[in-house]
Amino acid sequence: MSTQQQHPNGELLGAYVLGVLGTDERSTLEEHTAECEECRMELTALQEMEAALGEVPPEAFLEGPPEDGDLLLQRTLRQVRAEQTSAWRRRSLAVGLGAAASAAILFLGGYAAGGNDPGSVTAAPPSATPSASPSTSPSTSSSPPQEGLRVASATDSDTKASITVELTPASQWVRVNASVAGVPSGERCRLVVVSKDGHQETAASWVVSPGPSPTASPQPGEGGLNGSAAVAPDEVESVIVVNDQGKQYVGVDM
Amino acid sequence: MAILRSRGPQATSHEALIRTLYAEHGKALLAYATRLTGDRAAAEDVVQETLIRAWRHPEVIANPQGSLRGWLLTVARNIVTDRYRAKAARPNEVAETETVTPVHRDHSQEVVDSVVMMDALSKLKPEHREVLVEIYYRGRTASEAAGRLGIPEGTVKSRAHHALKALRKLYTPSNPGSALKLRKVGAA
Repeated sequence: MSTQQQHPNGELLGAYVLGVLGTDERSTLEEHTAECEECRMELTALQEMEAALGEVPPEAFLEGPPEDGDLLLQRTLRQVRAEQTSAWRRRSLAVGLGAAASAAILFLGGYAAGGNDPGSVTAAPPSATPSASPSTSPSTSSSPPQEGLRVASATDSDTKASITVELTPASQWVRVNASVAGVPSGERCRLVVVSKDGHQETAASWVVSPGPSPTASPQPGEGGLNGSAAVAPDEVESVIVVNDQGKQYVGVDM
Repeated sequence: MAILRSRGPQATSHEALIRTLYAEHGKALLAYATRLTGDRAAAEDVVQETLIRAWRHPEVIANPQGSLRGWLLTVARNIVTDRYRAKAARPNEVAETETVTPVHRDHSQEVVDSVVMMDALSKLKPEHREVLVEIYYRGRTASEAAGRLGIPEGTVKSRAHHALKALRKLYTPSNPGSALKLRKVGAA
């Protein structure tokens, strides 16, 4: 290579900048760069890059959990539970006050769509007016599509219950956004993510409130159920709705 | 009127999220916060707050723009900065309680070069990244890095060079594209 001949130490500039050259290599290189404008410019650019590496702290490359950090983990988990409980109480209260109108779905998932802070989540206004639309066809969410988002829907031929699910993959878990219709009011239901190995993880739970229209169909992403499940995205087999007796109302393969 | 009698939202999946974040990033966060605060107890508070903020921003975790690790470290650093600044400004302040944090800022909308750099590093070829990590971040010599990585010393040096050159193509400080996306994360 001609550049090799012109700049015998060209490939060592990076190592020079990072300070890992031996004395001999270093002085050879310095002699060359003193003469070579091109190498000096390259050197300057690489030095800027080296400085930019300092933006990232060295701890960024440690892996795993901290040693002796179990109390820290437990404290954090307690705070999450406490915040969830208080957020849920506020939601329940608001729903209770505003629930003269009725909706088939209550907003009990962990993550409120559009909410930034579970502590300040406003109760989903009992899904406005029940649309009473017989259509349960999935409609697209108003939010921009996210990478790897999976959407599926199904209607159970026996129970007539229907479900539309949006699954958003994360590293080792999934976010679940669902609308469910056709489940009788008063039923205590769980949204369950079933993994390929048969493991079941509850993503959200709710009680279907009484309403004139059991077919109200909130849009996924706008109202409806939001939750998450610690199942790796690739491992998700299906999402089902069961009541507290274990009766399955509807399920959809993802 | 609807009567809700439920145990509340499912706790388990949220706890699983916290546990996962802790298992993957806990060591890095705690070590970083300990160095910044010089105090293990204070550092644990910072890590706790960082994990809670991550949990409040599921959209970041589900769809991190760039590196989630970089985002977490930045949040931790900002918490340290806020708390220590606040304390320095109000020396007679009574002890903080858990519910009163001195400054209510979340920073999650900020774009910082460290996140951009973490992102750039994560896009390097693994053999390039590991050389930079050994030499720059772990402070090893070429021969130590060669021993740890099982490659000749000359290869360490040439890879260090090509790694820096590759990084130059990947790293644009405060990249406007990622800035836009990160800002969407939303304020506290």
